[in-house]
Amino acid sequence: MFTYVLKRVLYFIPTLFIISLFTFSLSKMAPGDPVELRLQGGMQGQTGNLDTKLAGEKAYFEMSDKLGLDKPTFYITLSSAAIPDTLYRIQKKNDRSTIKRLIRKYGNWDEISEYYHALKDLENATYTIERNLGNAENLRLIRDNANVLYLTHEDPRITRLIARMDTAVKVPVDYVVDSQTVTDNSMIALNDDIERVKAAYVAVKQNATPAKNYIPVLSWYGFDNQYHTWLFGDIPWFGKSKDPTKTSLGFFRGDFGESYLDGRPVKSILYEAIKYTMILNIISVFIAYIISIPMGVETAVQKDTTFDRISTTMLFILYSLPSFWIATLCVVFITTPEYGMDLFPTYGVSSSTLADDAGFWTRFKDSAYHFILPVFCLTYGSFAFISRQMRGGMLSVIRQDYIRTAQAKGLDKAKVVWKHAFRNSLIPIITLFANLFPLMISGSVIIEYIFNIPGMGRVSYEAVVARNYPVLYTVFMFSAILTMVGILVSDIMYAVVDPRISFSKKTG
Amino acid sequence: MSTEIKEQEIQDNEIVLQDREVLNQQDQSYWGIVKRQFKKNRLAVWSLRMVYFIIFIGLFADFIANDKPLYCKYQGESYFPVVKTYLVDLGLDKWPRELAIVSWKEIELESAVWPPIPYSPTEMDKYNVQYVGPFDEQRRIEQSRWRHWMGTDQIGRDVLAGMVHGTRIAMMVGIIAMAISSIIGIFFGAIAGYFGDTRLKVSRIRLVLNIIFIFLAFYYAFGMRSFVLGDAINDSMGSFAGQLGISVLLFLVMGIIPNILTIPLKRIPFLGKQVTIPADIIVSRLIEILVSIPRLLLILAIVAIAKPSIFLVMVIIGVTSWTGIARFLRGELLKVRSLQYIEAAQSLGFQEARIIFRHAIPNSLTSVLIVIAFGIAGAILIEAGLSFLGIGVQADVVTWGKLLNLSRQAPEAWWLAIFPGFAIFVTVTIFNLLGEGLNDALDPRLKQ
Repeated sequence: MFTYVLKRVLYFIPTLFIISLFTFSLSKMAPGDPVELRLQGGMQGQTGNLDTKLAGEKAYFEMSDKLGLDKPTFYITLSSAAIPDTLYRIQKKNDRSTIKRLIRKYGNWDEISEYYHALKDLENATYTIERNLGNAENLRLIRDNANVLYLTHEDPRITRLIARMDTAVKVPVDYVVDSQTVTDNSMIALNDDIERVKAAYVAVKQNATPAKNYIPVLSWYGFDNQYHTWLFGDIPWFGKSKDPTKTSLGFFRGDFGESYLDGRPVKSILYEAIKYTMILNIISVFIAYIISIPMGVETAVQKDTTFDRISTTMLFILYSLPSFWIATLCVVFITTPEYGMDLFPTYGVSSSTLADDAGFWTRFKDSAYHFILPVFCLTYGSFAFISRQMRGGMLSVIRQDYIRTAQAKGLDKAKVVWKHAFRNSLIPIITLFANLFPLMISGSVIIEYIFNIPGMGRVSYEAVVARNYPVLYTVFMFSAILTMVGILVSDIMYAVVDPRISFSKKTG
Repeated sequence: MSTEIKEQEIQDNEIVLQDREVLNQQDQSYWGIVKRQFKKNRLAVWSLRMVYFIIFIGLFADFIANDKPLYCKYQGESYFPVVKTYLVDLGLDKWPRELAIVSWKEIELESAVWPPIPYSPTEMDKYNVQYVGPFDEQRRIEQSRWRHWMGTDQIGRDVLAGMVHGTRIAMMVGIIAMAISSIIGIFFGAIAGYFGDTRLKVSRIRLVLNIIFIFLAFYYAFGMRSFVLGDAINDSMGSFAGQLGISVLLFLVMGIIPNILTIPLKRIPFLGKQVTIPADIIVSRLIEILVSIPRLLLILAIVAIAKPSIFLVMVIIGVTSWTGIARFLRGELLKVRSLQYIEAAQSLGFQEARIIFRHAIPNSLTSVLIVIAFGIAGAILIEAGLSFLGIGVQADVVTWGKLLNLSRQAPEAWWLAIFPGFAIFVTVTIFNLLGEGLNDALDPRLKQ
């Protein structure tokens, strides 16, 4: 028994590892630059002077460091010989992706790096030139084009943009001040920089070694990576941290990152949400089991009677009724005055009219009133499901010989059913407990959305709509772990009530 | 006395003969028995008819509800606008310039045959906006031919037309998602069930080479082509499917190489030593991992990072719902494997692949149909739930779930709450009933 439980718990670890890996790679595939999402477009307004631009970049890098994005992504990567193993140090996600595309095409990191730096220097140099009426437009053109170039990888477009910048630098502009024509030649100061960009880009194309891309290389980055930090944090588990730059506690110590929307810790968002989901689901599981077990047993015992036929049909219909339809019907028909049946509150978990100093009992009654419909909509599906399973389990037990023996012995019916048959038919119901978990979490998403209950389901729905990935993937990991725990518990319970299970697993 | 006996004998003989005839007429093959058992279940038979009906509506949705006439005469020329739209979409035909973008109801047609529901799901009837009910007075509609039989929504779209086109989406979701999950589920279920933990033996060199080449194949087929694939998915679903096809083909070709390399290398005794792969444990673990992720959340997590597309939703539902089929087939194969005809096939020296695909799987596959029937119901339910939440479906696609969600903004429009939900309920129910019927028909206990 003990070995079996230990084995099951040990199985838990690789499963958790794979799920965390899956979650992590999904979050890495999410579109958009996490830093910019978090800064909410703080990088815009680059037309100012060098200071504002540098301040913007500094803010970007600080946030990037804070989110841990300055680290390599994973323990190992499989990339090509053309891609340097320090590419992760280019922190801007979009820049990095453009550089990767250039490498895929030309395969010469050194030249591409030189081109990239030349471009950066050119952009920075524009801030050293004093702005006047004549060169303002050209300065903007160079900055804008440089910013486009960071994200461009198609050859004709790059050539065209560079040529346009070249003209902007070399051709003097005439402009009129106080009805006098002045020729502005200040842009020529950028000549060296633009020549460097041009030369660098020509070098990229001439010294191309695309074949390097076909050589796969496996590189090892060690434990200081994004995945490891996300799970375990970078603050030491024991003892005090000396390094102030290390701030993450990691998933397993309850640090789930911060929401993109308002910077709130995901932990506190979830802490508020989870209690509603827990209340909803615990009540509904409880009610479902309380009603469905006797129901299943009764219908099985009275097989082929009118009662059995009617209730089996009813259960089948209930089982097929989509809960979101029933919930919508409830909301439309019995929560609005439209059809004269304003019986229940439509949305939320408590009335807005409730006084702040209302007593516990008043509050309780108010919440219970709000919970009736959501609990009903969550319950009836699982109720029908469990009843049908219970009936099936009971039927297969009742057919067996030992039941007939008990009846032949003259035991009274209640004793045969509840003492002998019921116990054995209960075993499959225990495993259902684990299956209910994922069903309920999925069910909560729609029910909480319909009734506007601020639980986990609603939070994850809102996270999908707002593309708030830290929240979404934390809920995802969380519910997967909860489900796994549910499966683990039900497996152990299964082994407790049926010793054959652990024995057969041990030997086979 | 003797004549009586004789008559009795003749009668008996006739009865026996009749019985025999009946037996001969009845199909005694496995499918014949299953069919007879299935036909005894009236509900299931009716469900099957309903399924045909729904598939019919789905297939011919454009001919049932459309804002173009089926046939019309315009300026002396005959057109079949609905058929022509298909041809134009396929690039085989072109509209004359004056008809390219035209509202067919507003031009002067000499004669026209309209579809039974003369509205398309996205067409807006500007005279009947703001939720006009089925029994309300409908403006500018004199003949019952043009009535909105199930009312309209806020911007004047016909609900019945939406229902008809929603049927097509629901059918496609059910069929495509289940086709994908059947392929994956049957593959894994067959491996786990047939080989179990002890029977899949490969040589050391084959195992090592295959593992190395899986990484390499992944690198060349997907890693190297990541930008091509990424651009294609932003371009269109069709070009993505094409590029993905190339990648998969590359992957498969790379997968063949190690198995060819194995043939000479196997001769070296050390490399050729056989190792047992616990296929059942590996597949069971995989299933357990997938099962422990709540499906709706898994789909939400994937949909959140992609562009909304109904086909993507179908594929994701398919890829995430194969566990039921795999588990079921595994269980069936574990039973079948110990049967004598498999042993006979093995002792005749047939190859493993042939035994699996020609003998073992066909005999277990019939029962997989049960899981597929329930799976279609589940897939339709999940898609309806997703589009109810407004997640993963493009703005111009009308589905049942979307229509149902419209009723939340307008409680007075009861038709939006009742009809789409009822359609989802009926479809889910008939597939569940079909599953039940198949379950009963294939149950060996009832076969006698």
